Amino acid sequence: MADPKEPIYHETLVGDKPKQWLLHGASKRLIDKYHYHSPKVGVVASYTPKARDVKDHFGIFRGVDQIESFAQASIASCGTYSQCKKQNCRPADLSDDFVPVFLSIGSVTYHNYLQKGETFINIGIIKFYKFRQMICDGRIYKVPPGLDLDEYFKDFTDERLLAYDLPKDFKLIAELFDITGQAIKKEIFNSL
Amino acid sequence: MEDRKQILKDLLEVLKTVRTIDPAKLEGVTEETDFLADMNAPSTELINIAVKVEQKFDVEFEDDDIDRLGSKVKDVIDLIILAKERSK
Repeated sequence: MADPKEPIYHETLVGDKPKQWLLHGASKRLIDKYHYHSPKVGVVASYTPKARDVKDHFGIFRGVDQIESFAQASIASCGTYSQCKKQNCRPADLSDDFVPVFLSIGSVTYHNYLQKGETFINIGIIKFYKFRQMICDGRIYKVPPGLDLDEYFKDFTDERLLAYDLPKDFKLIAELFDITGQAIKKEIFNSL
Repeated sequence: MEDRKQILKDLLEVLKTVRTIDPAKLEGVTEETDFLADMNAPSTELINIAVKVEQKFDVEFEDDDIDRLGSKVKDVIDLIILAKERSK
C-alpha cells in the first residue's frame, strides 16, 4: 500500500500525468493530458496523434485508435481513479490484484477523421459505475489549432460537459456509446 | 424452499425488465437456468441484473460478491439470501 504521508490522488485527474493512471507502455498510451475531470460525471482529455500512430495508414489516425483513446480517457482513467479512491491506493497497487478489461462497445458513429498532429479531445460521460464496471458515452472533437486547452477548460462545468457545450470551431469527429470496462480480479481473469 | 420459490418468482419480474433478455427465454426458467448459455444474456448484463436485483430485493451486494457470482439463476438466489442474512 502507499505511504500514508503522501497524497495518493488529487481531487481530480487534472494535473496528473496519464502515465500515472494508465499503466501500459508509452507506445500504447493515447492520452496526452487531462483538462477536466469530475469524478462522478466525466472527463475531458486530449491527444495529438504521433507519426507512429499513423504509420502505414495514410497519415490518418485509425478509428479503432480513436475508440482506444476514448476508452483510456474514460473507463480506464476514471474507473481506475474511482477504484483507487475507494480502496485508498495507487494504480500500481491496484494492478497487483486486478486486470483492467475493455469489455464491450455499444456503437460508434464517425463523422470525420484525424491526421497526424491534429489535437483532439475525448469527452467522456460516466453513465454507470458499480462493482468495478464503468460504462461511458461520449464524443471526440478536433480542437482548433493553437488553442490552449488548459486555459479553455479551467472554468468548464459538469453542465457544459453533459451538454457537449463547445464552440462551433471544435469539429465533431465521433460519437461513442456504451463503452464498457471492468477491473477484474486477476485470479478470475486468469481462469477465463 | 418456499423462500427460494418466491425469490425466483420475484427475480423473474426483474428479468422481464432486462432489455437484452428475450421474454420468450423466460418461459420455464428454473434455478438451473444459465443467464449466459440459456438466456443468451451478454456477460456484461450480469452486473445490470445485480443492480436491479439490489433494488427489487432491498439488499446490497459487495464487489467481491459479484466477482464470485456464477451465471445460473440459483447463484443469484443464493446471493440474495446471503445478502439478506448479512443485513440482519
